Amino acid sequence: MSDRPSRRDFLSKLGVTTAAAVGGSLAGVGLAGVARAEDKPKGTIPDKPFKIGHMTFFTGAGAVLGEPMYKGNLLAADEINATGGLLGKRKIEILKADEAAGTDANTKEMRRLKLSEKIDMFMGITSSGNTPALGPVAEELKLLTIFVDGCTDFLFDKAVPNPRYIFRITNIQSADGATCAVGVALTWPSIKTVAHIHPDYSYGRNCFDHFSIVTKKLLPKASNVSEAWPKLFSTDFTPHITKTLAAKPDLLVTSLWGGDYVAFYKQALQHGLFTKMKVATTLALGAAPQSIGKDHPEGVLSGVHSNYHFSYPAGNRWPLNKTFVEKYHAKFNEYPNFQAEGAYTATYALKTALEKANKLMGGWPDDDAIISQLEGMMIPGPGGYVYIRPDNHQGYKDAITGFSKNVPEYPFPILDPERIITIPIRNITSPPGWPKGDPTSTYTWIDQTWPTVKTT
Amino acid sequence: MNTTTVAALKPAATRSPYLAVVWAVPIAVLLGILPFVFDQYRTIQLAYGLIFAIAGLGFNILLGYTGLLSFGHSAYFGVGAYTAAFMVKYMHTGSMELFLLGTIVASLLVTSLFGYVCVRYTKIFFSILTLALSQVLWSLAFKFFWVTGGTDGLRVPTPKLLGMSLGEGADKIYFLSHAYYYYVLALFIICVGVMWLIVHSPFGKALQAIRDNETRARFVGIRIRRYRFIAFLVSGVFTGIAGALWVPLNGLTTPDILYWPFSGEIVFMSVLGGFRNFTGPIVGAVVYNYLKDFAVGFTVYWQAFMGVVLVVLVLALPTGIVGTAKVLAEMARRRFAR
Amino acid sequence: MDILVIHLFNALLYTSVLFLIAGGLSLIYGVMRIVNLAHGNLFAIGAFVTASAVGQWFAGSTSAWLFLLLPAGAVAAALLGAVLEPTLLRPFYRRPEEYQLLVTYGILMILEDLIRFIWGPYPVTATSLFEKMGSMTVGEWIYPRYNLLVIAIGGVAAVGLWAFIYKTRFGVLLRATSQDMRRASALGVNVNYVYVLAFTIGCFMAGLGGAIVVPSQSAVLGMGVDALVLSFIVVVVGGLGSLDGAMVGALIVGVLRETAVSVFPELELAVLYLIAAIVLLVRPAGLFGKAT
Repeated sequence: MSDRPSRRDFLSKLGVTTAAAVGGSLAGVGLAGVARAEDKPKGTIPDKPFKIGHMTFFTGAGAVLGEPMYKGNLLAADEINATGGLLGKRKIEILKADEAAGTDANTKEMRRLKLSEKIDMFMGITSSGNTPALGPVAEELKLLTIFVDGCTDFLFDKAVPNPRYIFRITNIQSADGATCAVGVALTWPSIKTVAHIHPDYSYGRNCFDHFSIVTKKLLPKASNVSEAWPKLFSTDFTPHITKTLAAKPDLLVTSLWGGDYVAFYKQALQHGLFTKMKVATTLALGAAPQSIGKDHPEGVLSGVHSNYHFSYPAGNRWPLNKTFVEKYHAKFNEYPNFQAEGAYTATYALKTALEKANKLMGGWPDDDAIISQLEGMMIPGPGGYVYIRPDNHQGYKDAITGFSKNVPEYPFPILDPERIITIPIRNITSPPGWPKGDPTSTYTWIDQTWPTVKTT
Repeated sequence: MNTTTVAALKPAATRSPYLAVVWAVPIAVLLGILPFVFDQYRTIQLAYGLIFAIAGLGFNILLGYTGLLSFGHSAYFGVGAYTAAFMVKYMHTGSMELFLLGTIVASLLVTSLFGYVCVRYTKIFFSILTLALSQVLWSLAFKFFWVTGGTDGLRVPTPKLLGMSLGEGADKIYFLSHAYYYYVLALFIICVGVMWLIVHSPFGKALQAIRDNETRARFVGIRIRRYRFIAFLVSGVFTGIAGALWVPLNGLTTPDILYWPFSGEIVFMSVLGGFRNFTGPIVGAVVYNYLKDFAVGFTVYWQAFMGVVLVVLVLALPTGIVGTAKVLAEMARRRFAR
Repeated sequence: MDILVIHLFNALLYTSVLFLIAGGLSLIYGVMRIVNLAHGNLFAIGAFVTASAVGQWFAGSTSAWLFLLLPAGAVAAALLGAVLEPTLLRPFYRRPEEYQLLVTYGILMILEDLIRFIWGPYPVTATSLFEKMGSMTVGEWIYPRYNLLVIAIGGVAAVGLWAFIYKTRFGVLLRATSQDMRRASALGVNVNYVYVLAFTIGCFMAGLGGAIVVPSQSAVLGMGVDALVLSFIVVVVGGLGSLDGAMVGALIVGVLRETAVSVFPELELAVLYLIAAIVLLVRPAGLFGKAT
């Protein structure tokens, strides 16, 4: 099989880097787009507030993700309002709505916000169960929407294949499972047996699927020996841990997150799980950096939803991150997670689109003008460049993951700054024009176009 | 069975059909012109209210007329919603009439199975049985995600009404607040009419006899379990129809509507309106829908707000809105007569 | 072989907690003929109070005395029960059962938000107790000692409750009232007193269940509703109003869940409802229940 590349060759072709040095894509990037003094807006701008309906988890176990999302939005809005508002005139006013009310209630609430509260824009959403429900409703309402998360591929693959009014800023979900699997193939290529513990909802299913398809290509000799599907937001993992230990796998893959992951790792520690196998996660350090204690083992492949960890890019290499983390910490006395970064970037994407549209046409731009500016936009956020693809309105940024490590500067583990893994996003997600697939387009794309690597 | 004897047991509804029509026609006309008065959002809210009113009517033939409190009506509502969604997914049909037909068949199947188990018991046991069985459906919808979509649920696109695709390409909100609203209204009127006939038929009188005194009802020859079973079927089918009507309005169905707190909401609506009256659940459903909408917009602690309303209601106004209104009207009439 | 011991521990762990919740629910029903839909919230309050006591008020303390804070949640739940029964439930004893169910449903909604109001949206943890006890080895397995403490507390609670009901004077009053409230009342039993006592004990058990799970897990919003549904499964299987039934039902559910996670991971949740449905079809009043 001479046409099959070796694993090392293929990984380098994917552009996977693992180094302390910043990835080439970031080096020498100018910040002209942000730092430039603002031009005066053209035409007359109304001064009534710009209402953003922000729906996320304010209550329940999901609030560990939801609250930071709102705070990211709030931080950006406060900054913009301090300069007079959008286009110097319209102050941003955020209306909160609780995503924990349930999918059906959320649909109703979105309608209420648009039709009764007359919001100008909708933002937020954490759960991947909610974007496929709310996306079509937003289209029906002709409501300009930037989903911060709710990152399921299903939204733009199936629920709204040709979006007009809805966008999404954080990385697509399939990148999670794929990034995790690439990280495993890079770090522990000798893995033979794999156990899974995933929350029983669409995110867990998606991580399982994409981890599996990538390992099929990159670790063809690895096989699944155990699966466990605890209910989302459950806190007792004793039987799942027992099952995993009994299977004696080389590796455990888990997409548990938030309070679920905290309960899981505390229980797993007392069962000695981390000493008996490698552990790879998709969202462990991503949800709430400060919720993980220093008792968390080091060297766990710790996913951050393929998006962002506040410790990277480090130092002053990417000043946007440094100032964002500082301002966020000063305001809320905690460190931002990927949701905060996503909402912050989304708010600035809106601001940038408004300014560009205003420059072209003058006055307050209508939704169509804002949309055409958002489509194809490339903007720098704290975590790096985000590119909003015009065909599916999905934001893409290079995926990152890393290894948990305790450092003296923080009272919780961060990503080991010496071993950050980055992957150019275009190499692990299906490209424009790829037919919509099942379970996801990225899944069929990997299945059909990636080679199975040579094993020795 | 001697129907006259049964009817004489308790003259629960003495109002003549003509008087009912005198009341019903102006209200129907009013509901008909409301979309021209209300904005689109309020009209859609009203459509929700009318749909829940159909569910409430169905629920109340068990609670109000047969004396059985079901805490599992989310199951039949969900059967309606999921039947429509399955028909879209597997039969690729978008016809609302087929949805309704399919729902009637599916809810008959499910309710006859559940009813067979449940009607052997009364009181709290009946409540718990219905609750437990509804949770079986919930867990199936939750777990068999390759069929039901799991927590993602299933989408139901704009349906065809009477074979016409009124909603395609058009503004969905306009469709929902006009064509679909009138469709819901028409079905609501039919359901109210049918239920009125049922509860005023000898069958309905027999149910009330069972409710008021089981021993005496058995004595006059009513086959109690069979009557309860049929009431259960009627109840489930009405609630299923409500579920099928609800799903295009909501756009998708998720396991949430099968979860037991939703059953609690149906009970809440009926008690709010007053379950001892035919019109109670109707008024209750519409009011409940607005009340919850208000509470959600008013405070993040809307659930506690609704809880307080419920506790106060059962403490102070156990006959609900309609029952209280009747008492007040009666007092006013007496004072006027004097 | 060792793995069977571990599976048994896991099953008993779940059983203990389930028994505490469902046993309380069943006891209240047995004496008062009330199904308290807010019962799960009392479990949650037990969890949150203990979590606050251990994880917040006395956070940082490493003293073994911390274990004495464990019952704080149970006491709080019992106090709440002692207030709820005379104020909100007593007016309903002469009214049809439907109203009793409804008022407890209203209390459920209020308590759910009350917890959110007091403790906020984030999970509250008290893991120091769990970590302090460390782990032990069973053959080649490592197992947390705390889990055994939970099992022990569940066992002690079951025995204590049995002794209370069958060996004390209060127990006699309780049983008399549960069999025939009117006759007991006519014979001079202070029914109000018995009711408040029974309700308080039931709430204490639920609160204790919450208190002992919190160190190894955490207190999260919504845990009450989940717990209520699970305890319904237990009482449906075991029979409402019977303590033996609650014990056996909890054991069946505990063993079944452990098996399902290991053997049919896809059916972890559904299998519980399916067994409840099967029991309903075969013995609708539950294995130990008396049909009415």
